[in-house]
Amino acid sequence: MQLQWFGYYLDGQSANRRNARIYLEAGDLRIDLADGAIISWPYGEIRQTQGAYAGEQVRLEHGSEPAEVLVIDDERFLASFHEILPSRAAGFHNPAKRRQRFQLTIVAGGASIALLLAAYFWGIPTLATIAAPWVPVSWEEKLGESVVEQVAPAEQRCSDPQRLAQIEGLVKSMLATQGETKYQFKIHVVNQPMFNALAAPGGHIVIFRGLLDRTENAEELAGVLAHELQHILKRHVTRSLLEYASTSFLVAAVIGDVSGLVSFGVEAAQMLAQMRFSRQHESEADAAGLKMLLAAKIDPAGMIAFFETVRKEEGHLPTALSYVSSHPQTELRIARLKSLIAASTADSQKLLPDYSWEDIKKICPVLAKPAKE
Amino acid sequence: MAAEVDILAQHLDVPVGSTYPIHFHGRGGSLFGIQIVNLFLGLITLGVYSFWGRVKVRSYMASQTEFSGDRFAYHGTGRELFIGWLKALLLFGIPLFVLVILQIIVGMESELFNLLQILIYIVVGFFIPVAMVNARRYRLSRMSWRGIRFSFRGGVREFIAIYLKGWLLTAVSLGFYYPFWQNRRQMFMISDSHFGNQKFAFDGRGRDLFLSFVLHVLLSLPTFFLCWIWYWARVQRYYAEHTSFQAARFRSTVSGGGVFALWFGNAVLFLLTLGLGWSWITVRNMRYYTSCLSMVGALDVAGVMQEVQPATATGEGLSGFLDLDFDLG
Repeated sequence: MQLQWFGYYLDGQSANRRNARIYLEAGDLRIDLADGAIISWPYGEIRQTQGAYAGEQVRLEHGSEPAEVLVIDDERFLASFHEILPSRAAGFHNPAKRRQRFQLTIVAGGASIALLLAAYFWGIPTLATIAAPWVPVSWEEKLGESVVEQVAPAEQRCSDPQRLAQIEGLVKSMLATQGETKYQFKIHVVNQPMFNALAAPGGHIVIFRGLLDRTENAEELAGVLAHELQHILKRHVTRSLLEYASTSFLVAAVIGDVSGLVSFGVEAAQMLAQMRFSRQHESEADAAGLKMLLAAKIDPAGMIAFFETVRKEEGHLPTALSYVSSHPQTELRIARLKSLIAASTADSQKLLPDYSWEDIKKICPVLAKPAKE
Repeated sequence: MAAEVDILAQHLDVPVGSTYPIHFHGRGGSLFGIQIVNLFLGLITLGVYSFWGRVKVRSYMASQTEFSGDRFAYHGTGRELFIGWLKALLLFGIPLFVLVILQIIVGMESELFNLLQILIYIVVGFFIPVAMVNARRYRLSRMSWRGIRFSFRGGVREFIAIYLKGWLLTAVSLGFYYPFWQNRRQMFMISDSHFGNQKFAFDGRGRDLFLSFVLHVLLSLPTFFLCWIWYWARVQRYYAEHTSFQAARFRSTVSGGGVFALWFGNAVLFLLTLGLGWSWITVRNMRYYTSCLSMVGALDVAGVMQEVQPATATGEGLSGFLDLDFDLG
């Protein structure tokens, strides 16, 4: 049992360090300085500020700032302290408990992973679903208008009123199955060769000429419209914004010191999370869109046929990439839709039986022949 | 008793021209343990704990850094960091937030939009130098070695002037003023730094780095900007050599190749561990930079006396108003 320890003493007034012998006495910690001075510190007034980790010196402080300091190099001091004076040593780090601390650290690590996964898979999407109804529709409309101005400038819109009315008729027949909605829906056809369509918040659906060209019949376009309508009805853009904001908040909560390389990692993690939420929205719009088609007695084969066209156009994507994409794999989408259709018994009626679909596709003036880029 | 006197003598009679090394003893595993617990507590407190967690990390880093046989100590507290953050939020965060919201309300077409943008630039332009001075003051005042506190006594107003003037001249000179500006900032940061009652000194000159700067500008494109690592190392060496305390100067052997290897290793480690190796990266960095740094000359540290600076400055007037004593880093 070692009763005497060597260290050095700093008086808090000068940087001169004085060698000291330290004795663990019953009442106080006694410090004998090399120059003969003797100092006593009552155990209750001593603060331990270092020495909780392997390889760290034991640092004891006493008094108000600037405090007196006692530094002991030998880590075994703490073990002895706990052994000789267990009740006095209660407030000091006990190296014998490092193993326990290590186990607690592992538990904390596991719990952190569980919490992060729970937030990622469940917490953030749920939070967005709860918060989205509180976002005013007028705000969505304003945002939607500015999006439409960007992607569908007025001079590029195809506004042939008769043909547009037919497309709007498709939307109306589907919306009739949805009960009351808060949105004023508006269709914009843009004279651009892009094979795409998008839903802007507040009720705007933008269809590019390239997409219209590739549809074979009204049912196929109805499938696209059903999907986009559901994006608006389910407020996916608003939810994305909320999800983005709460992911940012979570990341800020997790990381104290963000610098350099870490911020890249954080960006990447946030992007991955965002893509996952986006894929969820796409799947939701597919399923709800299909349900709406069935309710409106529209043949869902059109929606499937359209996705088949998408699949042919995009070629084959490696499966691994499906985790870093904003859309689910097309093959997967088709398979899911088919299984949903198989479960239903709804019958359907032909859409726009009195009109030629090829004629409706001529809504855009410069359309000479279907563009193949 | 005789043996102890001998030990004491070793530390007092240091001959002129000695080298004082700096060692970092920290281990990635220990730091990782601290950071994992911080992560957990940060999650369950929705981030509030991060201020206290940061103190744990800084204490560990300081206590594992040894200069001339003695470790450093960090004395900051989570409460101080939290209050500092609230102050910064109130004085800069909220005005900035209001300005951004106003921009969204008036819209991009409005003439007010550009006016608001200028106001945002002004707020940010003030915030950066104010934050830099306050962070330095706070951090140095909470660091000690052999029980003696460091301090920084430079004024916020002076640095705002240096910062904004340098920024303007750099812009007007198409970037060529940059090494002078950088040197001026370094001089301000070092020459107002104290250890106890004694000052650090800085005698670097911007023109000494100017030719090197121009050379690296020219090399940027052919080297895909990698040459800036070498410039950065060169600047670190130059600044160290021109920083002194008493009759000793710092010396740094940081090299472009060394930094490149370090960063490359860090990037590989980061990717292979999906970011979980961050603690080991921190330790690697610290180990490299401290192993490169030393002091050469004559030091009489025993003669340094404590000189405690007021902990927080919340005086009146604008300069007191900006002495926030906060630290965001």
